[in-house]
Amino acid sequence: MARYAMVIDLESCVGCSACAAACVLENEVPPGHNRLWIRQRELGVFPELTVEYRPEQCLHCENPPCVPACPTGASYKNEDGLVLVKYERCIACGACVAACPYDARFMNPAGYVDKCTFCEHRIADGLDPACVETCPTGCRVFGDLDDPTSAVREALAKAGRIDVLRPEMGTEPKLFYLNTPSNRGLDEAEEVQQ
Amino acid sequence: MKLNRRKFLTLSAASVGAVALGGRAGALKAPWTVPQKWYEEQVSTVYSYCENCFWKCGITVKVAGGKVRKIDGQKHNPKSRGRLCPRGQAGVAQLYDPDRLKRPLIRVEGSERGEGKYREASWDEALDYIAARMLKIKDEYGPEAIAWFGHGSGDSWFVEYLPAAWGSPNAAKPAVSVCTAPRETASQWTFGRGVGGHEPVDWENTEYIVLIGHHIGEDTHNTQLQEFAAALRRGAKLVVVDPRFSTAASKADRWLPIKPGTDTALLLAWINVLIEEGLYDREYVEKYTVGLAELAEHVKDKTPEWAASITDLPADTIRAVARELAAHAPKAVLPPGRHTVWYGSDTQRMRALYIVNALLGNYGVPGGFYLAKKPYLEKYPHPPFPLEPAAGGCSGSSGGSEEVPEGYKPRADKGKFFAKTTAIQELIEPMLSGKPYPIRGLICYGTNLFHSIPNVPRTKEALRKLDLYVAIDVLPMEHVMWADVILPECTYLERYDDLVAIAHKTPFIELRQPAVKPLWDSKPGWWIMRELAIKLGLEKFVPWKSIEEYLDTRLQAIGSSLEEMKKKGTLVQRGRPYLNDWERWHMNPFKTPSGKIELYSKTFAEHGFDPLPDYTPPMPAPTGYYRLLYGRSPVHSFAKTQNNWVLMELKPENEVWISNAEGKKLGLRQGEYVWLENDAGVREGPVRVRLTERIRNDCVYLVHGFGHKSRGLRLAFGRGASDNALQTRYVLDKISGGAGLRNNFVKIVPNAAKPRLKRISTLARERRL
Amino acid sequence: MTTFYGIPGGGHFWHWTTQIHFLLVALAGGFTLYTALLGMKNGSEGRKLAPWALLLIAADLFMLWAESPARFRFTQFWLFLGIHPKAAIWWGAWGLALSALLLLVIILQKQAGKYWYALLAVCSTIVVLYPGYALAANAARPLWDHLLLALFPATALLLALALLIAWRGEEAVRWLELTSWVSLLLALLLPAALASGGVDQARALALLLRRGLLFGLGTLLVLLAALTARRTPALAAACAFAGAWLIRGWLVAEGQHSLFTHGF
Repeated sequence: MARYAMVIDLESCVGCSACAAACVLENEVPPGHNRLWIRQRELGVFPELTVEYRPEQCLHCENPPCVPACPTGASYKNEDGLVLVKYERCIACGACVAACPYDARFMNPAGYVDKCTFCEHRIADGLDPACVETCPTGCRVFGDLDDPTSAVREALAKAGRIDVLRPEMGTEPKLFYLNTPSNRGLDEAEEVQQ
Repeated sequence: MKLNRRKFLTLSAASVGAVALGGRAGALKAPWTVPQKWYEEQVSTVYSYCENCFWKCGITVKVAGGKVRKIDGQKHNPKSRGRLCPRGQAGVAQLYDPDRLKRPLIRVEGSERGEGKYREASWDEALDYIAARMLKIKDEYGPEAIAWFGHGSGDSWFVEYLPAAWGSPNAAKPAVSVCTAPRETASQWTFGRGVGGHEPVDWENTEYIVLIGHHIGEDTHNTQLQEFAAALRRGAKLVVVDPRFSTAASKADRWLPIKPGTDTALLLAWINVLIEEGLYDREYVEKYTVGLAELAEHVKDKTPEWAASITDLPADTIRAVARELAAHAPKAVLPPGRHTVWYGSDTQRMRALYIVNALLGNYGVPGGFYLAKKPYLEKYPHPPFPLEPAAGGCSGSSGGSEEVPEGYKPRADKGKFFAKTTAIQELIEPMLSGKPYPIRGLICYGTNLFHSIPNVPRTKEALRKLDLYVAIDVLPMEHVMWADVILPECTYLERYDDLVAIAHKTPFIELRQPAVKPLWDSKPGWWIMRELAIKLGLEKFVPWKSIEEYLDTRLQAIGSSLEEMKKKGTLVQRGRPYLNDWERWHMNPFKTPSGKIELYSKTFAEHGFDPLPDYTPPMPAPTGYYRLLYGRSPVHSFAKTQNNWVLMELKPENEVWISNAEGKKLGLRQGEYVWLENDAGVREGPVRVRLTERIRNDCVYLVHGFGHKSRGLRLAFGRGASDNALQTRYVLDKISGGAGLRNNFVKIVPNAAKPRLKRISTLARERRL
Repeated sequence: MTTFYGIPGGGHFWHWTTQIHFLLVALAGGFTLYTALLGMKNGSEGRKLAPWALLLIAADLFMLWAESPARFRFTQFWLFLGIHPKAAIWWGAWGLALSALLLLVIILQKQAGKYWYALLAVCSTIVVLYPGYALAANAARPLWDHLLLALFPATALLLALALLIAWRGEEAVRWLELTSWVSLLLALLLPAALASGGVDQARALALLLRRGLLFGLGTLLVLLAALTARRTPALAAACAFAGAWLIRGWLVAEGQHSLFTHGF
């Protein structure tokens, strides 16, 4: 009975994408989709510049809109706060993909909806998710929010600034971004290079 | 799943019969079951070291069902410490790349080099072919007429071991003269020690970091990135000097957008401030250095004001940084960077950088540079080689004997520059002109000839003239498809290699062992080397019967064994990191002629070079052209990862960075495709435009390694532009032999057609193994 | 300026096959509702239409089955035995399945009682309502405004009525006219509904104005249908069909566009 969460310190993240590569291999993510990707935002005007490197993935919300959207109960939140999919119950209707405000879900060609699982299979063995373990800058921390001695609670306590993505959606995400270099917070960029 | 019309109709027609039981892999499984994940099977682990860049992190390879599934770091390995960069993680995709070379190939008789006409051959036939021609060349021209180029772990076989046994001094690694030569030579003649493959920067203890170029975060040498991030998290201050707002700059307290090519002026100004304001570490300089008086005189007029007009930086900022460096000394450091062949004057720039460090009193002191110690490791007892080529290398020594043994010729680039190590780009000339003597054959191991050596047309011309050109590689790179014989090496996950010895604070030895058997008919480099040696009549130099015997013998000699190493992966020894550790044993780490750190280099003076560093302005850009700068992406290594689907999905192409202001002048749109044309008229591209605020108006920037032209690389082909193709000019650094590559200038030719290529994901799905 | 390493989410998740489903489900639902209401008035008339209604439902279910990547789990009906009232597709699955069963009962019985048709009316109403709910329930997709809860049922009925007129002549012309006006009104209300919302809705409105040519065209066709219904029912039916299909099709396609990843 835990409340698993993840913290990413944007002051340290350099966007190296080790986490993204590790995730693909650890979770056999098929070509064409990502559970995890890195957003790079360039802000400012020469020479006063800011660049934010920001990994994005499922936020394992406390109040996930993807769970009620599922007609078979395949999409669910487990007792440890992880939002998961029971693949053998998934009929690949895509209702949960539509419901996610963070575009975290995708249709796996193997016939089910897929997304970041906080490497549930590794947590069971007492390990960190693959992205956390491999991160060379150490900017990712994972742990139980309900445990006051956990690394994740420590990181949150020490943080200068804590942000979550789109708090106005009421999803209560459990992936916290610390110390974003942008003083405007995690606003989406105005212009996206296609 | 995108259901195309044909599939849908087939489905409708066969809807009842389409039960498709057990369609995949012959297993009779109900079609509604979810495929099992790899970690649900029995997983075994194997320790090894990575080959996806040249850092050589210790890795843990996870194997399930006879296939490699995942690669992670090794917790006890001082390089990876349990973490891996994206290229290390994606090594699995290289192993199972269906475009890999599979069987030895011999060029069809009568075809041209570069035409790509090959026939398959057995290993015996291929090696016999090579040996026969090598011996013929040796008879006619001498053993020195065979050049050996190599890079990667296997370069120990093909650039050190076999050339030495064969007797050719013309063995070279691009890692030297197209990368680290200036920093190694400058370090050798300043501190009497090289830098080495694992830069001995004491990140753990430093408080103030100044990076000259050195785009950490895009250049992702694992440990360096770990330690750099940890230092910043601890509160260390960072100053980045770079014409581009790199990732490192985005973490910096100060970004100095310096005019390209003027870094030496900046460094001299810092030396000026440290001396004029008396901020240098007097005690340290007194005790450990020589030449202060000459240096002080030399920098008298090199004030921040002088540097300001040259570098385009405010004098106040220049002065402030010098003062901040001093305030934090000795825990203030200017790391040396790695690829330092910029303008041809690079040894002097590195000398200036080292002098700043010395004045801060940080060399051999916590927070500055530690003194790396080589691990204790014995060579395999083979009969003495006829000669030892001085190929150096980023993890090799930067020395080399100047003596030429009786009956052998000196290296063909001798006399062109001062340093003792070979310069790969200077060995092309003898292939063309036959001066000072002809080079008629080339054995090229894992070196991307058309993506590393400048002036590609000259390289191609040289290859055409050779009597023999052999390529040993993993993938069908463009230069590979020019060879007379192509030998497919298996990847690092399928082979043993020589032990790697890392000079470090805590020196250590790493073992590479195979995780799976070689695919197709590919073979390990050691095996190729050994078989070729035997066919060349050099059997006595390879007395070991198997690689296991070779490794075990070396390890037994230091009290370990292959069995033990296989279980451990890494063997860590004790180091001697700081000056007081050496002094305790009455040892002097500074192997200079004077026995001290030489601020003033008498040796340089004696050889006609500036004994104190001077600023040499770089070649200016012609009007209408931008200086071409280049660098790394954290997701790619050189030109070797662009066929790796995992990494290509992360970054499928490079882009030319150009400032918004210049882009506006040229009428460019974000994301459009353009040609780059250099001032010699060479065109490259099409390449995508990245309009950005993050770069000065006088230069453009490309990530190195794209622009592959080999169709055999189905993912890499045609994506992005090759910076190397545009580097037709280089300026030779007469001291280190380095080829300064940043004296190439490009103009933008707009309205290039966007290349019509399939998506990476589509190709990845189509060409699944 | 934003760039990515890797493939961000936010691609389309419902493709051309889903578009066909949205068409078929509208026809199936509308037609079955009409069958039910007709059957409540006149049992034998209703029974005549029942096989066609069943065929439409079967076609829709087949379409869903064929295009699903999880085809072989799709038929595992026991997966739907839970209770998921917030899941529109749960409602739709039950609505379609029960409607099909009821139609079968009606066909097999010589003279089905009124109550069967009443039940059928309830189930087919669910089928008519659920697609709009499936879209509007996604707060993450602002173009799929709550208005769609009404717009989609209205256009669904419009599609079914157009089919009926094409097949059975002038029987439902008045209904076609009425439904056209209602659909038109609702379509015109969409920009207003978006304009009165928050930042996300404003961006959805900008998208509609910038790329909504087909939506506009569809609206015009529905207007044409409303105006010509009584005079030239065949033409009106054609216009209604095309217009309703365009309006729904455009909304399904463009509404998937990710606000989060790609911006508008």
